[in-house]
Amino acid sequence: MSLLQYVHLIDIMARMNLRADATRFFLGYIWWILEPLLWVGVFYVVFVTIMGSREADFLMFLATGKLVFVWFSKSVASASSSIVNGKGLVGKIDVPKTLFPMAVVQEGIYKQIAVFATLAIILVANGYAVTATWWYLVPLLVVNYVVIVACAFVGACLVCLARDFAQLITLGMLFLMFTSGIFWDVRSLDAEKAKLVLDLNPIAFLIDAYRQIMMHATAPDMLHLFTIGVGFGALMCVMVLVMRHRSQYLALRALTA
Amino acid sequence: MSKTKPIVLELTDVSLSFHVSKKSFDHGRHHVLQDVSMQLYDGETLGIVGRNGVGKTTLLRVLAGILAPTKGTVRMAHGKSASLLTLGLGFKPDLSGRDNALLAAMLQGSSRKQALSFLADIKEFSELGDSFEQPVKNYSAGMSSRLAFTTALMTHVDVLLIDEILSVGDAHFRGKALAAMEARVTGEQTVVFVSHMVDQVEKMCDRVIWLENGNIVAEGDSKEVTSAYTESITRLRRDKIKH
Repeated sequence: MSLLQYVHLIDIMARMNLRADATRFFLGYIWWILEPLLWVGVFYVVFVTIMGSREADFLMFLATGKLVFVWFSKSVASASSSIVNGKGLVGKIDVPKTLFPMAVVQEGIYKQIAVFATLAIILVANGYAVTATWWYLVPLLVVNYVVIVACAFVGACLVCLARDFAQLITLGMLFLMFTSGIFWDVRSLDAEKAKLVLDLNPIAFLIDAYRQIMMHATAPDMLHLFTIGVGFGALMCVMVLVMRHRSQYLALRALTA
Repeated sequence: MSKTKPIVLELTDVSLSFHVSKKSFDHGRHHVLQDVSMQLYDGETLGIVGRNGVGKTTLLRVLAGILAPTKGTVRMAHGKSASLLTLGLGFKPDLSGRDNALLAAMLQGSSRKQALSFLADIKEFSELGDSFEQPVKNYSAGMSSRLAFTTALMTHVDVLLIDEILSVGDAHFRGKALAAMEARVTGEQTVVFVSHMVDQVEKMCDRVIWLENGNIVAEGDSKEVTSAYTESITRLRRDKIKH
């Protein structure tokens, strides 16, 4: 399979999944925008109406954190089960196994475009300005994508080895949600702790970087971002090689485990 | 089939087993294929017969490179490709026949451009008419197998591995499918053909392998092997009735 064919196939599989999804729901593609809006709505009810927080800032802070995190968690969680779920196909053709998680990640990208557009509109509507700093979103998005792909590959292999990992990944996502500073500000911790969280948890760093760029017009720590990109990029390459060399083993596990 | 033709695909002492659960079989290992050796010659049509669960599909999967043997070697002639044709290549019920056909053709190795160019032929041959644009979930069983067969037929590879795809649709479509299949099989195409329809195997294949419990029990002229196989099935049925 040539690279071009591989890329086309990922794109077609992702778009077909989206189309299948859209036909299943009465509201179809509207859900892409409705879902992030509902998240913000839920935050509004909980944090503004019930808990009485008067700060519009806090609502935007939550929305940015949560919507960025959901991209990661949903993509990785569903990509993890993708090879096993595709076993009907796995048993019939010898395709690169990375195709399955890649198609799921691609599907997530298409949805996330709508989510980010919605988020940007909400931010602007709440008085935040689109500044030149927003250009930093480009490398940030690229690194975020690499992190998602690397984790998706690892997850997909683990679930092939033992289905139990799917449970652990779901639990892991919950753990990450609470430790990545979505509902609290990493920067409100004392300097030492904040550094520890940002150093140990790349997701916390990415979420904070989005907020710095979009809410505070501040450039993120580019060296840190670059390090994360290189680290996860290397992991991604290793996983591609592993999945290529162990393709038939993964097929056997997906078919029989 | 003359043995002077070049070998396209060769299996030497191939065994395949996998771990199931701790308390079953041989310390939790399930043996699907055991020391299978076979050759596939260029341009021949090789049939595989055997009862359910003897390892026919697994053997095809090994030939197609989907699964690797636990032991033994699989050698494919340089630059040759093999593809397994089966019904229902991951159909998505919410999508139209057209979308499914496009996806299946691309998964079988066509480029997007080629796959798009196949669509008109697939629509015509499958006789689905306007239903081609409808979601597959609204199809009858016959309609989905017609779509699947036609999509599978469009693939062009050096070695075609066919798993039970001729039992499709109504009598009219089955006749048409068979004719299309025979046209492929009698040509220069190298084919491995698995079917329960022993008559078809005998008619279409040059050589037949009879598989029993992961072993090759007989191999050779299609008439001899299929009649020995049919005899054993009849004997088995007779024994069952007696008991």
